Amino acid sequence: MRQDLTRVLGLWGARRAWLLAGVAMAVLAALAGVALLAFAGRGVSEGLRTGALTGAAIGSLLLLRPLMVLRPGARYLERLVTHSATFRALADTRIWFFRRLAERLPAGLGLRGAGDLLGRLVSDVEALDGLYLRALVPGTAAIAVVLAVAVLLGAAEPALAAIVALPLALALLLPPLLAPGAARAAGRVAEAQGGLRAAAVDPLLGLEDTLAANAEPRAAARLDEAGRALAATQDRLSRRSAWGGATGSLLAQAALLGALGYGLAGGPGAVGATIIGLFLALAAGEVLAALPRAGTALAAAGASAHRLFEAADTPPPVAEPEHPAEAPSGHALRAEGVRFAWAADRAPVFEDLSFDLPEGGRLALLGPSGAGKSTLASLLLKLAAPQEGRLLIGGADIATLSADTVRARIACLTQDARLFDDSIAANLRLAAPEADDAALWRALERAGVADVVRALPEGLETRCGEGGARFSGGQGRRLALARALLAPADILILDEPGAGLDPTAERAFLETLESATEGRSVILIAHRLMGVERPTRILRLVGGRALPAMG
Amino acid sequence: MSKPPPAEAARARALLSATARAGRARLARPILLGLASIACGIAQAWLIATVLAALLGHGDGGWAELAGAASLALLATGLTVAQERAQADAGASARAGLRRRAFARLLRAGPADERPVGERAALVVDRIEALDGYFSRWLPAAALAAAGPLLIAVAVATEDPLSGVILFAAGAMVPVGMALTGIGAALASRQQFDALQALSGRFLDRMRGLPQLVLFRRQEAEAQSLGAAADELRRRTMRVLRVAFLSGLVLEVIFAAVLGCLAWRHGNLLVGGHPDPQAALFCLLMVPGFFAPLRAFSAAYHERMSANGAAAALAPLLDGPDEEDGLQLAEIPPSVVVTFEHVGLTYDPARGPALTDLSFRVLPGEALVLAGPSGSGKSSVLRLLMGFRAPDGGRIALNGRDATTLRPAELRRLSAYVGQKAHLFRASIRENILLARPEATPAEVEAAARAAHVTEFATALPEGLDTLVGEGGYGLSGGQAQRVAIARAFLRNTPLVLLDEPTAHLDPGTEAQVLDSLRRLCAGRTAIIATHSPALRARFSRALELEQGRAILSRMAGE
Repeated sequence: MRQDLTRVLGLWGARRAWLLAGVAMAVLAALAGVALLAFAGRGVSEGLRTGALTGAAIGSLLLLRPLMVLRPGARYLERLVTHSATFRALADTRIWFFRRLAERLPAGLGLRGAGDLLGRLVSDVEALDGLYLRALVPGTAAIAVVLAVAVLLGAAEPALAAIVALPLALALLLPPLLAPGAARAAGRVAEAQGGLRAAAVDPLLGLEDTLAANAEPRAAARLDEAGRALAATQDRLSRRSAWGGATGSLLAQAALLGALGYGLAGGPGAVGATIIGLFLALAAGEVLAALPRAGTALAAAGASAHRLFEAADTPPPVAEPEHPAEAPSGHALRAEGVRFAWAADRAPVFEDLSFDLPEGGRLALLGPSGAGKSTLASLLLKLAAPQEGRLLIGGADIATLSADTVRARIACLTQDARLFDDSIAANLRLAAPEADDAALWRALERAGVADVVRALPEGLETRCGEGGARFSGGQGRRLALARALLAPADILILDEPGAGLDPTAERAFLETLESATEGRSVILIAHRLMGVERPTRILRLVGGRALPAMG
Repeated sequence: MSKPPPAEAARARALLSATARAGRARLARPILLGLASIACGIAQAWLIATVLAALLGHGDGGWAELAGAASLALLATGLTVAQERAQADAGASARAGLRRRAFARLLRAGPADERPVGERAALVVDRIEALDGYFSRWLPAAALAAAGPLLIAVAVATEDPLSGVILFAAGAMVPVGMALTGIGAALASRQQFDALQALSGRFLDRMRGLPQLVLFRRQEAEAQSLGAAADELRRRTMRVLRVAFLSGLVLEVIFAAVLGCLAWRHGNLLVGGHPDPQAALFCLLMVPGFFAPLRAFSAAYHERMSANGAAAALAPLLDGPDEEDGLQLAEIPPSVVVTFEHVGLTYDPARGPALTDLSFRVLPGEALVLAGPSGSGKSSVLRLLMGFRAPDGGRIALNGRDATTLRPAELRRLSAYVGQKAHLFRASIRENILLARPEATPAEVEAAARAAHVTEFATALPEGLDTLVGEGGYGLSGGQAQRVAIARAFLRNTPLVLLDEPTAHLDPGTEAQVLDSLRRLCAGRTAIIATHSPALRARFSRALELEQGRAILSRMAGE
């Protein structure tokens, strides 16, 4: 846990100034609070002891006035600065995590599940605030208070200082002592929270299928079950935190009653110090009361950090070359004896795949579903690497090129090409951020969807909805196709461009394939040819090899 | 920057108080335990003051009182622990009830609710979790903030009336100050919630499309715009907090003022020799205790505000009766005649009608193929029959009876449905098939898997039918996922079969296999099939050509 939390602090390095300022404000506020109570107590007790207002008592009461302003002001600033610092640090973490996943899980989430991952991102990143706001800040303030108490009392009565400061110092140890147990409990809470979210997201993602199967009661029962599991884990965590809180307040009480006992045992001589000790213990108790919760917060942050790093440390599917080669000038493609399997225990997709695609060529890659047609796209885009053999672009092995260089040369319409919940224009400009509206319309025209967009009242600014939900399957597919056509890449991979289109539309698009792709190299992945594509080569994937075939 | 309309805020409050009323018994427990703990604190302070006064040479007091104070400390701590446990329990039970209702509503609304999945899931997860603080911390804290300081002020007043009055006055000022600073924060809290939700929705959307971003090399640009969104969220949140923290500031100021007043009051008394030193000390010692419930109240104040924001989002969903309108099916009829009479449907007036004046009839044993370009309304016909939407005009009849009088869920009991993009749930293939009819026997599941050609690829998987598939069907190709969906339809065994592009993702070889299974699936049932596939069309006798929501051509085989 310590390792994960140290690493979180490392991520926050850029915000050090803000974070330290917050801690400084917290220390100031806590010390002002101690001083306020200590002076008030001293003023009254001096007065009571001597029976009259002595100089010391008046002095104490006068000192109260600036403290009365200082303490609330410092508290207010402390809260503002610490919160602002936290938000800044968390935003950094969120973006770091996003970048990391783009690097480590570029092919998507797979079994991790989008619902669960969203839970990780949002709740886990948010939970890291506890590390600073509820552990580091109150912890540092408490240490400052205990030190102040020890120094103030130690100067007058070392024995009394020991009696008061010792239980308080023990309370300081509570957070690190309680954290590991609470970490386990918090880990279980977060896990249960992920479970609850998955139980809500999964049936909603497959809502039509859930309803079609009349599975609503089962989905509800599953959500209920996940809710109960979450409540049980939260209960265990809150019990721990309640007992931690109880221990902390008992230790503060021990300091207070210890000071009184010292006074009773020591007789009249020790009275002055006793009273100050008593009020200091009272003030310190207030600051230390938050401390046992710091253990819980520390634990929760540790568990979140662990899960964040676990996802973020997934090894990248294809390591970047240490010294990437220069981008080759040509873009002829060549596969040489490629062997690839998704996992060691799965049957290989390719055994000995070889083919050539000269610049401007159009390769049709045919085969039944599951033959590995889409896998080839993953290999060419460096989302996976062959176990044997090489893939060359312009004569350069893609293993020696950076993924960015390769992806700049190859645009791909994948089978699961998603539209984002953004405008049509923004979705298209993913492929070419600088493209002007005319270029967007040209691409829409080529994909055969320009008429649909023109008919929309908001035209290019129409929002697509999540996953393109505002459009029919075929329309969404054509928008994705327009996006791929817009990309300024030399090589286009079109994975089933006709899926979801009606046969007339599919035929019309494939007929114009040659002009739509403007002399770029094209890899067309399909179950079958319609006879209008005019490919320059046809390969059929059979048993992990590419065999030349006739249309 | 719009503030929530008053009606919406009122509905949010109504939702919260109705839920609180329902959980009254559980909510009372932490309050009573808290009061008992405060009473212990008063008694303890009195004993400590006695010992202290004795130390200063006024009155008697010694080890006995100290021991009493120590045991009271133990008792108060025990009571506090019990209070916390009772609070957590009250919060958990309130959340469970709300979650159950909200989720049922989301399922009932079905695909008609077009908000992104992340946003809807946030309603039943995050928004309801956000209500926890309202029930477990805010309500007990609010009650204790009124009763606790009152109890203490009365106790102090019996010792020294003027000190009691000072505490009373301070206690009365706290809610006034909080109300003054809290109103703006309550308004701003809603905006912060909206921003948080937008951020969360955006994350899910971008995460699910991460491969697209990576392939188009836009991940860095997206990271930066996510950063900008987070910055915007921070600015909004800080605006809320600047006001919200003022309520804390008010409390601190009053605390310092009370301490100063009491020190001055008892210091003044000293000039003429203090009449009751023990009382003076007791008054001072009670100050932190007096403010503790108010501090808890102030800390929990945000809970109420965020609960208001969350409740305002939930209230529209939970409006109306929990029971759904419509008739229930007495039993599933062995066969169904589907009749559409002049049916019209419009999703969005700006985009024109999806279906216009559509009429047809399909008899048992008959299969109607709906053909036409994408967007012509084929899927809409199926959505109507699934009860995902209600027609805006015309009549849909099943066996001559109006289908819209049935509860949508009852309507769906009649049919098996295979959509354009089958969703595979995070479970094994077997469980995914079982979804259609959970009471089916293993033999029935295997028969359905065979009929849909699932067995063929499942046997090659490490654990056969028990292989886990992820959300969105990880590890299975689009065609394989679709075959699992067809297996569901087989297992379901209903009089009505609705297929929406069932072979869109299949290669010709697989399509031919599946077509046979589909024919068998449709045999003896009433089937409606939306498709582009010429092969599929050729297998079935009747076709209805749609264009822009109208039937333009009806054709029998061979025509």
